[in-house]
Amino acid sequence: MPALKFNLPGTLTILAVVGLWEFAVRSGAVAFDYLPPPSAVFVAWGGLLLSGEMLMQTVHTLRAVLIGWVLASAIGIGLGLLLGFSAWARRYLLASLELLRPLPAVAFLPLALLLFNFSLTTELVLIVYASIWPVLINTMGGVMSVGTQLYDVGRTLRLSRARTLIKVILPAAAPAIVVGCRLSLGLTLVMAIIAEMLANPHGLGYAVVSELQAMQPQRMFAYVFFIGLLAIALNGALIGASRWFLRDHAVSSHE
Amino acid sequence: MNERWRFQIGRLTAGLPPARGLLPLLLALALWQAFGPRHSPYAPPPSAWWDSVRTMLQNGKLMPALASTLVTFALAMVIATIVGGALGLLIGRSRTARRALGPLLEFCRGLPPPVIVPVAVLLLGYAESLKLLVVAWVAIWPILLNTASAASLLDELMLDIARTFRLDRLTTLRKIILPAVVPDFLLGLRVAVPLGIIITLLVEMLTSLPGIGSLIVISQRQFRSADVYGLLVVVGLMGFVINSLFAMAEQLLLRRWPPRAQEMR
Repeated sequence: MPALKFNLPGTLTILAVVGLWEFAVRSGAVAFDYLPPPSAVFVAWGGLLLSGEMLMQTVHTLRAVLIGWVLASAIGIGLGLLLGFSAWARRYLLASLELLRPLPAVAFLPLALLLFNFSLTTELVLIVYASIWPVLINTMGGVMSVGTQLYDVGRTLRLSRARTLIKVILPAAAPAIVVGCRLSLGLTLVMAIIAEMLANPHGLGYAVVSELQAMQPQRMFAYVFFIGLLAIALNGALIGASRWFLRDHAVSSHE
Repeated sequence: MNERWRFQIGRLTAGLPPARGLLPLLLALALWQAFGPRHSPYAPPPSAWWDSVRTMLQNGKLMPALASTLVTFALAMVIATIVGGALGLLIGRSRTARRALGPLLEFCRGLPPPVIVPVAVLLLGYAESLKLLVVAWVAIWPILLNTASAASLLDELMLDIARTFRLDRLTTLRKIILPAVVPDFLLGLRVAVPLGIIITLLVEMLTSLPGIGSLIVISQRQFRSADVYGLLVVVGLMGFVINSLFAMAEQLLLRRWPPRAQEMR
């Protein structure tokens, strides 16, 4: 993994794009009526930060993301352990799950709306449904790829089945599980925003849509860029956290 | 003949979990049908889903919506494949371009797809072309970045060989570059296809432009729950068929250009 080096040409490109955009709007070279110049977006961004509005929306979204992520991870790891551990469960359950998995999660949104109305519950149902799968699949795969020798170790040490699971199998499967949880965090943010746009009028997703409807394009763009940065920051934080979490695995997992 | 068929079917189903695993789902649906409330506004029985799908087929609501969704998805995938693949090759082959465009491209890919929709609505209005552009925009990034990363890892030795043999550009592309890039390109496409389906539905839901997505939302707003459940099954089947077709195409392409395990290094 290369260290994060300052990328001068990359930074310059972004500055150039922003500059070009500013120039194009100011000079009237582009024909879009509602495209604000970046400077106006920046000013609007400052206003949203100062008034605390952006913070409030962010807190709502991040709370939904965190709750949804914890629930999805718990269910995903639980089911994944069951399926990875027991061939019987795989035989009698896997095909049902494989049939549900490719169902596009957004299609569940109207159903969730029908059942739970405009609420945080609807948002969480969508988030959890979409985010279970990466955790489940990775946990199952991780457990199944644990070599038979490790089971033998458990038997040699006369550990009970439960203790073998906790002391031997879980640590061996941990890298795969962590990757699954990381993938699902990215999904939770996307799903939270979708749900907020359509089904729960709070948070960052709702903010983007309502600024659009209020014809405040500079505020809308401020939210859009903020969401982009938030997504990158979340992913970066999680990569760092999983590397710390797996620091003892550096030797065993060939990353 | 019989033997051969059995072999072919066996090969097709080899990767699938045993069909017995469908029992819990079937059982749940059967119990729902048998003991669920007849006329529930929330959980109508599966037979009611079937009836409402048949009604939507007969009154000509389902097919145009399905066609609109599929055409948008297919065109967007074609655009994303061509643009993403070509730009990916160009960017991947130039170190400067990679460094200069890297952060911008990563931001574009990292931007959660749903927020593109309001931006597109603002700039384009509720036009039919909006659907296509949004889906293509979202589907391009995984393809572009995967192709670029594969192109940047091209074996210089192989390119030297091409130069030694005085292969012209087209032959070099066909014989050296494509075989090295196709497996990673397909990996990007594998991310882009399900994403494309989701975003097509989402755009339709958000903008009410005609399609399956808006049909579901309209049914939900009118509290026609059997329609919602029925359309959910239709969407599931649609996703299943698209993903299966793509998996088959992927197998064919990978047979033609198998991934090489760094044999030259």
